[in-house]
Amino acid sequence: MDTSMWLALVSIAVGTYLLRLLPYVWMKRSLAKKQMEGGIGAMPIWLTILGPTMVAAMFGTSLVPAHSDAVSWLATGVGTLVTFGVWTRTRSMGLPILCGVVAFGVVTLIL
Amino acid sequence: MNTTAQSLAMTPWKQGVKDAIPLLGGYIPVAISFGLISIQSGFSVLETILISTFIYAGASQFLFVAMAASGAPLWLVVIMTLLINARHVVYGPNLSPYLNHDKKWLPLMHGLTDQIFALAHARLPQLPESARIGWYTGAAVLAWLSWIAGTALGAVAGGELTQRWPLINDILPFALPALFLVLIIPRCNNRLWSLTIALSAVTALTLKMLGYPNVAIPLAALCGALLFYALKDQRIVGGH
Repeated sequence: MDTSMWLALVSIAVGTYLLRLLPYVWMKRSLAKKQMEGGIGAMPIWLTILGPTMVAAMFGTSLVPAHSDAVSWLATGVGTLVTFGVWTRTRSMGLPILCGVVAFGVVTLIL
Repeated sequence: MNTTAQSLAMTPWKQGVKDAIPLLGGYIPVAISFGLISIQSGFSVLETILISTFIYAGASQFLFVAMAASGAPLWLVVIMTLLINARHVVYGPNLSPYLNHDKKWLPLMHGLTDQIFALAHARLPQLPESARIGWYTGAAVLAWLSWIAGTALGAVAGGELTQRWPLINDILPFALPALFLVLIIPRCNNRLWSLTIALSAVTALTLKMLGYPNVAIPLAALCGALLFYALKDQRIVGGH
């Protein structure tokens, strides 16, 4: 890589880090300031809604299989149902994911 | 790991490592692909590993090597990759009520990827305050190292690996939707949140299928939030 490419790499790395860091620092200071002023340090409601909806959106995008054919979609559906079914019984994290991946793999391999 | 339990059966960082293990199923195959594509785009093994170490953001790394290889102006490469990562601005503020004033949180923000945010957003509220930094360190460092290791593997032997074990790319990535599902499903405890979550997920899926993967997450999240505001005072869906 030449110097300009290294500069681009450093800019992206620093910029990405700051995108993660600065909003956190801002919110931390904002909450501390509200507490100092005698109020209850609470996050804006829109932000508490945006957190779960971001995770739900990640779930939605991750469902789209790499190969968009009928078998991949069937495997995705079966894997999702098995993950959900095991979760409703165990209310845990590891086992539902493992069972979901195995179910997804079985359908992919068999069909 | 129980998603409703408060106590830890092991040290916090070990628990963090354990909770982050499902992430590897999604991280390693994608990192191997990135390593392979980066080498094919003309970057060296060391450069490829440094990109994963310091940028550490999947979609923007792929865009970076693709645009750089195509000869796009570097200022445009920087702007586009940062725009893709702009969704990260809501992650830190959402976690901040659960984090103490320890200065170690500042460097740890480097590890705040989509997946670590999703995991931490569900887990940190369940942990005692003293255990949170250890838990987050364990989870975030495992995810980061797996991304770097996967990249190195892809850069050195990606072609051979994916030819010999094509299922690495086909099956393991399902761990990610399975993980997101178990993280988000406890939120669906009333009709309002169930509708909000469902709309966000369906919108994101649709946008990605239509060919807009980079705006799918922020746009779908925004749609879900708007639905939440539109319905929150309607008696039929219940409160939150």
